[in-house]
Amino acid sequence: MSEKGKELYEEVKEKIEQLNDKDSVYSKFGDIWKLASLGKYRSFDLRYLYEDTSREFVEEHKEQLTKMREDFIENIEEYVKKCIEVMRKTNKFKVYYAKTNEEAQTIFMEELGDNKVLYKSKSLEAKDIGIIDVLMKNNIEIKETDLGDVLCQLLDYSYPSFTLGPGVQFTEKEIVAKMKEKYGIDLEEKAEAIVAYYRKNYRPELLNDVKVSLTSANAIAANDGSIILVENEGNISLLTRATEKHIVVVGIQKIVPNVFDALIVAKLHERINNVDGAYISFISAASNTSDIQGKRVFGMYGAKEVVIIFVDDWRIKAAKENLFYKDLLKCIACKSCDYVCTASRAFGNIYASKYGIGAINIVRDYIHNGIEAAVKDGLFLCTGCENCTNWCPVGVDLAEIMKSLKKEATEKELCPPSLKEYKEKIFKDKNPFI
Amino acid sequence: MRKLIYLGCLSSSKYKETCENGIKIIKFLDDEYEILDKVPCCGALSYHISSDEELKNHVEFVNNWFKTNDVSKIVTICAGCYNYLTRYYKQYLGSDFNIEVKHLLQLIATPENLKKLNLKHSGKKITVNYHDACHLRNAVPPIIEEPREIINSIENIELFEMENTKINSICCGAGGGVYATFKENSDYNAKTIFNQMRKGKALLTACPFCYNALQRIREENNIQKPVIKFEDFIIKVMNQEDPLI
Repeated sequence: MSEKGKELYEEVKEKIEQLNDKDSVYSKFGDIWKLASLGKYRSFDLRYLYEDTSREFVEEHKEQLTKMREDFIENIEEYVKKCIEVMRKTNKFKVYYAKTNEEAQTIFMEELGDNKVLYKSKSLEAKDIGIIDVLMKNNIEIKETDLGDVLCQLLDYSYPSFTLGPGVQFTEKEIVAKMKEKYGIDLEEKAEAIVAYYRKNYRPELLNDVKVSLTSANAIAANDGSIILVENEGNISLLTRATEKHIVVVGIQKIVPNVFDALIVAKLHERINNVDGAYISFISAASNTSDIQGKRVFGMYGAKEVVIIFVDDWRIKAAKENLFYKDLLKCIACKSCDYVCTASRAFGNIYASKYGIGAINIVRDYIHNGIEAAVKDGLFLCTGCENCTNWCPVGVDLAEIMKSLKKEATEKELCPPSLKEYKEKIFKDKNPFI
Repeated sequence: MRKLIYLGCLSSSKYKETCENGIKIIKFLDDEYEILDKVPCCGALSYHISSDEELKNHVEFVNNWFKTNDVSKIVTICAGCYNYLTRYYKQYLGSDFNIEVKHLLQLIATPENLKKLNLKHSGKKITVNYHDACHLRNAVPPIIEEPREIINSIENIELFEMENTKINSICCGAGGGVYATFKENSDYNAKTIFNQMRKGKALLTACPFCYNALQRIREENNIQKPVIKFEDFIIKVMNQEDPLI
């Protein structure tokens, strides 16, 4: 094992040791995550909210969805081209195609113009594409709107969190105490009171003050250029309507062939996560009216302008050159793989990267920052149980991708010493246990 | 043409009695199966940390060993070997690997063999749990129903399904060599498995790696319910002994 390998190994070990300290951030997150993921894991097989289970729903659509994703990868360039064309011609969106993350960041800053404040939904893609880093570097004030993210921001929480409930580990007591410290207000230590506070005080701002807003997309339909967004809070509804300019930043893998595929993807998000996806938006144009003499005028009550920044970066290359992580292009970000992951349950946000928790985000870190980053994120905590692959509704073989990462780490002398020993004994003595 | 009993390196180094029991069952069902000396490890533990070239060399070595010893059929008592031999040997060797590989559970779970074994527990009715090892449920073909058929065929033994079973089972946290490096993984996950046992009186497993991890957690946490390897359980039932001791 190389010096770097030892250093990374120790770093992971140190974080794990903190799990013994009940007050450590890892421990606090881990406790709630264990409950959430185990509960979700069970509920997949229960007739919980509907007549069929989430598993049955997935099974019903899995073959079709997998084929749809494979077809997309096979014809990725044509789908992207078709989508951009219809978006420009029919939907009158302003569409950019960025070849790299850096290009996307530059375009985004240009679109932001003189605005010093940006309101955003979770937009995981923006994080992945590095938009958040650039905003911070340029001292742009980032206003989170998803309550979980608002709370993470309030409590200065900078660790990887669960994307679906980013602030779920904070207690009502902690939140209320911090609100008193920051805003000087006394609130009852109840979730309802906290929600009521933000509804009363933050909602008017979202309705009146937003100039530029940022979202990602759950899916984008290539045949009609619709942007599909699923949400439960209503923050995305406000951000996409009560704004001057709505900017969507997405990797091109979010494109699906048609609007019905997009609907299945959106519904799958709901079913997998058992969230009441209260609202699904299909955005096919900026707000407009033709009520005066049939003349189309943009910017009635909703967004005046919709801007899409599609990002390629590693994606076309992965598809064309058949890279080992090509399967990631199928991913619809439903988070199934997080709930059922053995390592994720045991290690919470120790098994994570700056892009979020779980194996999929470790692979993202690998793509952007290389193998050392993946080892540091806890690559070798993966047991290879293959639950991620078994559960994936679109047939991503994440387990195999993780194995490939481990192989690369081993080649670069980054594999934990005891594993290396097994390997040497197997090849030399033909038995690892003698 | 020989029929080989493939014990697997973990069981043959660490669980000699289980190996004896496995051999007894296999020979009882088909006495043409035999034990050979110096059987090489299948290489499962090196899969995720070796290059394709290293793996190919190793599986070629093992396959040549099979050929030299005229092996045409294999029954293994190891979940890891079954998974690896069925999935990856074909992948690396193609048609050059043409050995029929079975796991002990598959051998037992045929109607003829269940009839031949005629398993009966003479004492009070016992409820047991079965833990689906990843190696067995992920294999091609998967082994999921066989252990259930076997347990349900035994008079006075009842299977209690845990909340996470079959393809949905919880990994013991020891796979992929994680047991040797980050045991905290099974500290949590194996405990979760025990928590799901409820009215089951013993936890059966057909994977020596899972056994290793589950047994450690059991000892460290003073869990009273035993973890029993499938072969040991079957032999005790065959011998009319208390299978829980």
